[in-house]
Amino acid sequence: MEPSKQIQYTSNEVKDTGDSSSVPNGHFDGLVKRPAGGTVRTQTPQPPGAECSSHRPANAGMESWREERTRSVEDNEMSLPSLAAAYTTILRGLGEDPQRQGLLKTPWRAATAMQFFTKGYQEKIIDVLNDAIFDEDHDEMVIVKDIDMFSMCEHHLVPIFGRVHIGYLPNKRVLGLSKLARIVEIYSRRLQVQERLTKQIAVAITEALQPTGVGVVIEATHMCMVMRGVQKMNSKTVTSTMLGVFREDPKTRDEFLTLIRS
Amino acid sequence: MNGLCSDPVEEFNCNKAFSDLIVENKKTAAIFMHEKSRKEAEDKIRLPTLEAAYTSILRDLGEDTDRQGLLRTPLRAARAMQFLTKGYHETIDDILNNAIFDEDHDEMVIVKDIDMFSLCEHHLVPFFGKVHIGYIPNKKVVGLSKLARIVEIFSRRLQVQERLTKQIAVGISEALQPKGVAVVIEAAHMCMVMRGVQKMNSRTVTSTMLGIYLEDPKTREEFLTLSQTT
Repeated sequence: MEPSKQIQYTSNEVKDTGDSSSVPNGHFDGLVKRPAGGTVRTQTPQPPGAECSSHRPANAGMESWREERTRSVEDNEMSLPSLAAAYTTILRGLGEDPQRQGLLKTPWRAATAMQFFTKGYQEKIIDVLNDAIFDEDHDEMVIVKDIDMFSMCEHHLVPIFGRVHIGYLPNKRVLGLSKLARIVEIYSRRLQVQERLTKQIAVAITEALQPTGVGVVIEATHMCMVMRGVQKMNSKTVTSTMLGVFREDPKTRDEFLTLIRS
Repeated sequence: MNGLCSDPVEEFNCNKAFSDLIVENKKTAAIFMHEKSRKEAEDKIRLPTLEAAYTSILRDLGEDTDRQGLLRTPLRAARAMQFLTKGYHETIDDILNNAIFDEDHDEMVIVKDIDMFSLCEHHLVPFFGKVHIGYIPNKKVVGLSKLARIVEIFSRRLQVQERLTKQIAVGISEALQPKGVAVVIEAAHMCMVMRGVQKMNSRTVTSTMLGIYLEDPKTREEFLTLSQTT
């Protein structure tokens, strides 16, 4: 089971990510390295609070969550003045008058808003999931669909919004349903790329539950394409990640995709 | 103000009664209509400052500005923001000068479902929706795409939906002196959807009615019916 799982979770790309252990999204920036690439996969549980390494083992269970939180509420408060100053500079640079009534407190509001849009950096999966995994003798597909998702494009800092559909085949362990939505929240409230977001959600569920299979489909509208650039109003981007039996068995995948359509 | 004036001079004034509204806002209107608060050539000069500001923002959010996905983000974000506020470059005079035609038409003209994208001036987060414009010409009609261009000028700025609606209406009035102008905007505000109260399906509707649309409820009703039907 393990070798086949390894194949599923590693990507075809072997990218040199450098040291991405300390960045919030870095562990997926270059995707998971192949074991042959010289990185060591360790199965020993790491002590709590240890930093996650860039070559995180995909099936090491809970250890990969024991990553350091990258931002705290205190960090937020401390960086607020500097964020507000940056926004004031931006307002001036755009030709606006930051002293006019409508814009007086805008730098603070915009800074707080941006911190809210990236609050996924403050949260850890393990906090959200720890008590909501239940042993249940259920091995049929569970789908939670139409989860509204809001993210920020990491290339233009402009919103992305859409819907996430998650399906998984439990292997004696089921997850509280809202926790699926919370996983989506944690990963989407960051500077993201839709492909990476889809994969992160799928891998998080896999690591939490070790299910037989996970499927995640995201359908989103990118404001960077709608409001600027090519300006295509009705375009949508669809990405999907299929792991485990969803990848291997076309019938299962078919069932999942049909059920999320209806 | 009720269109029953018999004296021709007074009638002229009556027809232009809504110009009072314009006079009130003349000061703010002037700034937005005839002056450019930003020159296009300045954009390039200002880019490095904006870039530096965005780099500082990324760092303060806890991100690593050296990772591959973020390397050129400050530049892209700065350019994107300049594009989203390009309405400051433009004035009505620039785009309208050649597209006003003398036409013996005095029935309602409606251009509806104009997609609009703007930035909330309070949170710097997009709001977007549709604009419906109607006007009753007074011997002068305007090229239809120019109505959409007027929407673009005023929406590509840091805006408040109420002000945006009014600016579009007043802009058209000043350019054409029509018998009446009506503008309705229905938009979704990301500052309400993505944060704060987080109400996904809420929409904000604002309208400005000038001239005959303000005075005559039947005209207003005709506009509203025609613009709302799909």
